[in-house]
Amino acid sequence: MKTYSQHSLEVTDLPEIPLWKKADKVDLLYVAYGLFIVLLVVGSYIAGSLKLLPYDPQDIDLNLMMAPPGTTGHVLGTDFMGRDMLSRLIVGIQAYFLPGLLAVFIALYFGTVLGVIAGYRGGLWDTSITYFVNLVDSFPRLVLILLVIAAFKPNIYYIMFVVGLTNVPVVSSLIKNKILFLKEKNFIEADIALGIPLKTIIMKHILWHHCRALLVIQATLGMAEAILIETSLSYLGFGVQEPAASWGNMVQSGANYLMQGKFWPSTAPALAILFTILGFHLLGDGLNNILEGRKKGS
Amino acid sequence: MTAPLLHVDNLHTYFYSSGKQAFIRSVDGVAFDIAEGETLGLVGESGSGKSITALSIMGLISEGPGVIRGNIHFKTNGTIQNLLEHLDTYVTVSGQNNRIMQVNKDLVGWEKNVDKIMRDIRGKKIGMIFQNPKSSLNPFQPVGKQIMESILLHTSVTNPEEARERALTWLDRVKIDSPRLRFDNYPYGLSGGMCQRAMIAMALAGEPLLLIADEPTTGLDATIQSKIIDLLAELKSEFGITILLISHDISIISRLSERVAVMYGGTIVEYGPSRDVLARDRSAKHPYTQALLASIPNEENLTENGYLKAIEGDVLDTINIPEGCRFQNRCSRCTDAIREQCMHEEPPLHEIAKGHHIRCWLFES
Repeated sequence: MKTYSQHSLEVTDLPEIPLWKKADKVDLLYVAYGLFIVLLVVGSYIAGSLKLLPYDPQDIDLNLMMAPPGTTGHVLGTDFMGRDMLSRLIVGIQAYFLPGLLAVFIALYFGTVLGVIAGYRGGLWDTSITYFVNLVDSFPRLVLILLVIAAFKPNIYYIMFVVGLTNVPVVSSLIKNKILFLKEKNFIEADIALGIPLKTIIMKHILWHHCRALLVIQATLGMAEAILIETSLSYLGFGVQEPAASWGNMVQSGANYLMQGKFWPSTAPALAILFTILGFHLLGDGLNNILEGRKKGS
Repeated sequence: MTAPLLHVDNLHTYFYSSGKQAFIRSVDGVAFDIAEGETLGLVGESGSGKSITALSIMGLISEGPGVIRGNIHFKTNGTIQNLLEHLDTYVTVSGQNNRIMQVNKDLVGWEKNVDKIMRDIRGKKIGMIFQNPKSSLNPFQPVGKQIMESILLHTSVTNPEEARERALTWLDRVKIDSPRLRFDNYPYGLSGGMCQRAMIAMALAGEPLLLIADEPTTGLDATIQSKIIDLLAELKSEFGITILLISHDISIISRLSERVAVMYGGTIVEYGPSRDVLARDRSAKHPYTQALLASIPNEENLTENGYLKAIEGDVLDTINIPEGCRFQNRCSRCTDAIREQCMHEEPPLHEIAKGHHIRCWLFES
């Protein structure tokens, strides 16, 4: 039994219901949480680069080693060298923030360009781009990263370049399929007949109107992935090196003390990783559902 | 007087706009009947509810709320069957001020019920020709096969060879030249006109009692349109089929139909013999019909500077149907004497001559 009801006799002005009102409550919650995390990360990054920190993250205090959370002055306690955990967590964002943006930018930029060329030009262009993209896609990502680390030095920017590169196939195939689908539509044909330059058609009518949701979602997912790779490599000792702080190497160095019941040096950065990646994923997921007008019920 | 073949009474088909949280009242109390062997033309602007009426009769409205009220009596083999039987067990309607404000509908149960009722009706008793013949034929099956399928399903013929012969005669009857060659053609290999002929053959091959032709000439060019209408006229005189002809083209309607119903904003505003309704010189006519007739593109109707006349204003917004007459805001014949009534009371269908009904306060004495 389905109920349809009209509330007033006169539906006077028919306002366009804003997107967020039509959306599912859960999706709104996801997006709100995601945005909160993004703001927190960006805010902390700015605070960290302006040196607005409770303590110097490299300041060693041998009198206060492994202080538990809540110790006066050290909200999240200190690590095995007496360095303030909160300050190190904030500074740890710098390890992935700019490199992560680089990875996202590379994936989106090259993915879009290749996707547009392959989709719009077709023919030999499509074939060769598809071959190249498949080649990149067939390489195990971690092996490629380790190769780069072995060939150069463990620089996070090199690693993130590779991460971005390995994300190109996903973006380019999404864009290509979207363009192949849209190209046949009458409105694109009408655009061409109206003499609208190809650049405007692609940039505005295709990418802006039909692909922006997709690109935003790929960006959030890409960022989450970049964080995960950075932290896992740092955990393994391939990424950001001590004494520079990274959430990954903080978990690693803290893990040695876990068996002694001193959980905070590893748990705090681990939880930070968890909630941050969760935030980015939920942001992407929620935005996807809201922008594509998807509802859980139907 | 014998009962008509099809009697539609108080038909309401609504849609729901979830964005605006309001009902779109596509068909709002339509009533008409068609006698056996007669052709009824249904004219009106785009969006006046012509096609939705046809789809409601066929039980093809699957979107909610769909058909919510009314009766469709169809006479088969002497017995009268209500195609909307048990409608009220699936739908509850509540409203205020004679307006429906809430509908509860068991869509699944209703769909099942419709399918049960319509199983023996669709194709067998009521055939339908759709708009856009090219997209209404199955692109992956030769047209002849599609006609054969209709014959095997709906008539007593069960032998494929015989059905094939029958399909060939039908192709011949709808004037497709060299039917044997065309039998194995796929729809993409046929022109729009030929596809429409094949569609007509397919609809008629089931030997229906009633043929619903929903804009049979859309998408065809003028000469083909004329030929299709000629064909329908010929088939009509030859087989005596009953046709419900839906079109926005008055010239097509006037060539084929004995009676005409003019629809505006989901209701019938004028209904009667076509020589009365579509006669140009009569003044006893609904203002909308008059305006429609005045906007047929021909020499007589040109304005002084050579423009075609158009009806002022826009098609009725079927979400906010005004109180009173639906045509009030576009009407040029509303006088001060009746203005009050036009604005506040919906005029009833008033019989001004035998069988000629008009829904206008002008003719209410």
